Amino acid sequence: MKPLSERLNDRLERRDRRSWKEGEAQGWLHAPDRDPEIDELVTLARRLQSTSHLQADPDFASQLERRMLIQHAALSRKQPAHRCFFPRMWHMNPAPAIALGFCLLVLLLGTSMLVVAASITNPANPLYVLKRWEQHVQVSLSNSPTPQAELDLQYARERLHTLASLTNPAHDDAYRQALADLDKQMNDATRAISALSVVPERNRLRNELSSFEAEERHTLRTFLPQLDVPDRLVTTDELGRLGDIVPRLLSVEIVLSVRSSRHIIISISGDNIQPGAQLLMDGQVMEAQGSFHNGVYVFMLSLSGNQLPRNIGILNTDDTAAQTTTITMKSSNENSNSNSNSNGNGDSGNNGEHGKGNDGGKPGKAPTPDH
Amino acid sequence: MEAISRQLDRARRGESEALSMLYRQFLPGVFGYIAARVPDRTTAEDLTSEVFLKMVEGISHLRATDEAGFVAWLLQIARITVAGYYRKREHLPALVSLESDSQEEEALGNSEVSLRSYPSQDPAERAETRDEWNTVVNAINMLTEEQRQVLVGRLILGYDVATVARMIGKKANAVKALQFRALQSLHRLLGKRDFSERATRVQARQRGGKP
Repeated sequence: MKPLSERLNDRLERRDRRSWKEGEAQGWLHAPDRDPEIDELVTLARRLQSTSHLQADPDFASQLERRMLIQHAALSRKQPAHRCFFPRMWHMNPAPAIALGFCLLVLLLGTSMLVVAASITNPANPLYVLKRWEQHVQVSLSNSPTPQAELDLQYARERLHTLASLTNPAHDDAYRQALADLDKQMNDATRAISALSVVPERNRLRNELSSFEAEERHTLRTFLPQLDVPDRLVTTDELGRLGDIVPRLLSVEIVLSVRSSRHIIISISGDNIQPGAQLLMDGQVMEAQGSFHNGVYVFMLSLSGNQLPRNIGILNTDDTAAQTTTITMKSSNENSNSNSNSNGNGDSGNNGEHGKGNDGGKPGKAPTPDH
Repeated sequence: MEAISRQLDRARRGESEALSMLYRQFLPGVFGYIAARVPDRTTAEDLTSEVFLKMVEGISHLRATDEAGFVAWLLQIARITVAGYYRKREHLPALVSLESDSQEEEALGNSEVSLRSYPSQDPAERAETRDEWNTVVNAINMLTEEQRQVLVGRLILGYDVATVARMIGKKANAVKALQFRALQSLHRLLGKRDFSERATRVQARQRGGKP
């Protein structure tokens, strides 16, 4: 048997389908097999439904409708359509409104990130890439070559300024990255200025570029004493590209003693090597006796281990530095014109890094600076 | 008839014709709900007016897109409006009206049941009718809000169980149970009292016959 609530509902729905009069006439409303409780509830429902207390008066209904429309007209005058655009759009169709909201949010976040990135100076910061991209876009969007060249020059100045904050040895990587960026920016600026077709503008910007290069050389030199050896090497290289006087190694020769493989003589020749320069071996400053004669520096020293150095260089008294991996090996009992490619430490297979001797007593190849 | 969702869209866009259509369609339900909860017709009309004016103000922000959602929204406004009425009344001193004409006529619940129309009606009978209706209102006020909404949806608006279920966010079986318990509670609270008998008698008298 169905529960009472089901039976009551069935009776109410049957009642809805037929009129009450019909029901009464046919006798189903008070049929003898009906549950008296259900009958009473159905009767109560009928009375509630038909009572005049719950029915609105027609005069009141029409008056209220007029009032409502007047109120609506007043509200419509108060609220211009454009003010309600977003809420209406939201209520009518939320999907485009959500998409629009999301786009606005992304735009807001993007703008905020660009603003934040613009103030970033450390190349180690992930937002630095964004800053560079932002500057690249700004240069690309410039409407003529002159502003583009000016922007390139301005960004080169910013890079130099950035570099000043990274001279602390704790920022080694960031310093080298910033120096590489500065070099690239200088190249861009030089190229942009050279490409200018308007001669007065080109001359003006060339003068500016020259002044800036002088400033850059001076600034980089002031950084040198604060830098560690690897950073001094790259900075010296940059100074060289800017036309400054920096050391350049032409040849490096290691002469091994026959009696003791630990005693070696290193001869370094090159340009702009200053008296009092220190020997660099594998990036370390060595305590070695040296003599400078006819542009050749000769150092004598004892090695603490069996490994021969892979890089040899010098550190000038003005803190510029240079080094090379192209090293000629010789033995002290050989003739002066006979080079050896053996390092005397049983490491003869490792010729590539220490340079090769040749049969004519000349260096195997020209030494190249190695930074 | 135009689908309710299209009427709602047009009303949200500010079309007064759509507002009127919604008003005409849902006035019986809102008035019935309010009239079942307040003791006199004047108050019911005042509160109904408040509800529809709020509807005009708020329809542009309405999220509902179907009839059940819209009715639920209207009845929620009605519930808050009635609650506000009772809250205010708690803070007012009880007033005894010295007027015996128009206001009391309206308090009877139907303009047809008025002294103007029926000068011969007995004042004692009118008072009795009013007291009886107060008893019904008190009984309805003792139901839960869900039970009241089910009665309005099923009996006044004539919705089927599924629509009322969507309206109050319940399942069909729950609606049937609420409907049963609501009528059972009313029956118990009202006893054998026939609250509509007097109004029916008066209406019959208007037609010139006897009840």
